[in-house]
Amino acid sequence: MKKLLSPFLLLVTTVILILSCAEEQDFDQFDDLSVTPIVASSIFYLESDEEFINSASAASTFYAQTFNFDAFNEQFVAERLLQGTMIYELENTTSKTLSITIEFLDEGGNLLDLESFSIDPAPAQPQIIEVAYGPGGKSLDILTNTSNLRVIGNNLGDVTSVSSEPEPKIIMRSAAEFLFRLK
Amino acid sequence: MKLGKLMFLTTLFGVASLWSQNKQLLYDFYEIPQSLMVNPGVKASEKWHTGIPALSGLSFQAATSGVTVNDLFANDGVDFTTKVRERLIEDMSKRDDFSTTSQIELFNIGFRGKNRPDDYYSFGMYGETDVIVYWPKDLAILAFEGNGGDNIGRSFDLGDLNLRGEMVNVFHFGINRKISNTLTVGARAKIYSSIFQFQSIKNSGSFTTTVGQDNIYANNINADLELQTSGIEEISDILDEDTSTTQRDLASLFTRRVLFGGNLGLGFDAGFTYHLNPQTTITGSVLDVGFIYNSKDIKNYTLRGSATNEGIDVILPEDINNINNDLWQELIDEIEESVPFNDNDTSSYISFRPIKVYGSFRYDFGLKEASNKDCGCAINQDSGQNDDLYRNSVGGQLFMIKRPRGIQAALTGFYQKRLGRTLSLKTTYTVDKYSFSNIGLGLSLQAGPVNFYVLGDNLLGYRNVADSHYASLQFGFNIISWNGN
Repeated sequence: MKKLLSPFLLLVTTVILILSCAEEQDFDQFDDLSVTPIVASSIFYLESDEEFINSASAASTFYAQTFNFDAFNEQFVAERLLQGTMIYELENTTSKTLSITIEFLDEGGNLLDLESFSIDPAPAQPQIIEVAYGPGGKSLDILTNTSNLRVIGNNLGDVTSVSSEPEPKIIMRSAAEFLFRLK
Repeated sequence: MKLGKLMFLTTLFGVASLWSQNKQLLYDFYEIPQSLMVNPGVKASEKWHTGIPALSGLSFQAATSGVTVNDLFANDGVDFTTKVRERLIEDMSKRDDFSTTSQIELFNIGFRGKNRPDDYYSFGMYGETDVIVYWPKDLAILAFEGNGGDNIGRSFDLGDLNLRGEMVNVFHFGINRKISNTLTVGARAKIYSSIFQFQSIKNSGSFTTTVGQDNIYANNINADLELQTSGIEEISDILDEDTSTTQRDLASLFTRRVLFGGNLGLGFDAGFTYHLNPQTTITGSVLDVGFIYNSKDIKNYTLRGSATNEGIDVILPEDINNINNDLWQELIDEIEESVPFNDNDTSSYISFRPIKVYGSFRYDFGLKEASNKDCGCAINQDSGQNDDLYRNSVGGQLFMIKRPRGIQAALTGFYQKRLGRTLSLKTTYTVDKYSFSNIGLGLSLQAGPVNFYVLGDNLLGYRNVADSHYASLQFGFNIISWNGN
């Protein structure tokens, strides 16, 4: 049996060795893999009707609120953020000029940056403003250090007029599109 | 090697190296006792046999229906990210899979009934590992491209996540009975002793980013995802401890689970061989009709619910008195409440074995090796030889296996050549989802009482192993006593 097996195993081994081969593989290519998804999400939506703006007790500020916002400075996000765009859409159907200011504050409440928009009264066209961060834009540090947002709405007009538009109001929409490096 | 790289490679080609379970070379190769394991009703000609412990049956199969190692890692100068995007992300579908199956037979013994020579009994124990991972196409696109840009409005199917794997030890006992000169039937009872099992096979849901109703975007998630695991936690705990006794603890745990200490299950195989005429034979078998009841060391994970996110909203004057400054955290809490992730579920569950079905048609021709005396028994008592041993056989086989995404089938044409009673060769051509050029070659060598067999699949793939979609090798040693030996 040994006489039979030995040459047979030798034959099988030889055949496999002759037949089998593999092209050169370079597994280090994995290090070159670049995975950079774009993540899109709405951030903040503010809506106020004209009646409320007119009735606001403060002289011109009808809204001011600071709230915690750690979405950007979460470690996972902050470490991987390559660039981003904040998108703001502003729509004013009231009879007065309004301004909305967004302040980016760090954990200690210090102002890092602000965006201020003045919106003409109706019948003005809706405004779309895109603010870039990262290469060619504002510093990414603004986003990655932001821990709070302060949103301020100001009435730059009178407090008596009412627009003839149906349901006159100010609307601010905002969203972010960020490019991340996952790998 | 970095952890990320290791995980990527392991996922693609390690754990994910998919073993198609088709054993088309072994099927109906009745010179090999292990053919009883794929058809308990195969023509059994032995008086008795015993496998060489741990060497009687080793089979390893790996397959991928999509991308190959060479597709990604060939040193071809093409940017790796481009290759991943074009060949993995874009070209592969959610029906593509990576799979692997391995079996190690610890012992296999068979003997003919003393009082019932038409009955051939066999029993043994083998370990089996079976893993299948379907390509989670939409989740891969989501990770690679994100939900922004051109993917606004695209619905990502969370049901693309589909995988199953297990390591199980099988104790079996089978009876093969020659009913008549034309019909042989067989059945095999199995007890499964599970070492670990995991499955995530009934997932559904979607993630979509659309234009929002109020705000610019709305992120919508509707999820019904579940991963069931048994036997994983204890293994994980031992590995996490990473002490000097880790190896010993693992060995002890595996030994206990191999010997009925884990989750248990039951199953059976059945099969037949029927001679339409002396030269024409049909066969069929069904394997692993069974289940495992998983009740020990259970940890299940679920993500169920639906939520829509349009960011923080403030509507005046309704919200003017809301001076809470944790609106963002509230939003996150609200989403987590709507789509809770639960990792504390320890509910028992039943896992089904992958059922396999074989069928074949065989035509024998050429000079017979021995007489074809219809003695009504399995062994020709007068000559001490097997009956109906033609030198050549040709035919076709059909294989089907139930997989999480449905039934996978393979069609095989074969030719078998017997060179005396010492050597038998079988060559196959198989078409399945993994390959249209799968040519296999099997050999059974009988040297005195010792039988050696080796069965190799997809031989053309050996021209460039890295570019092969399928690789399979089975071999083993047995000691066989034919009647009169």
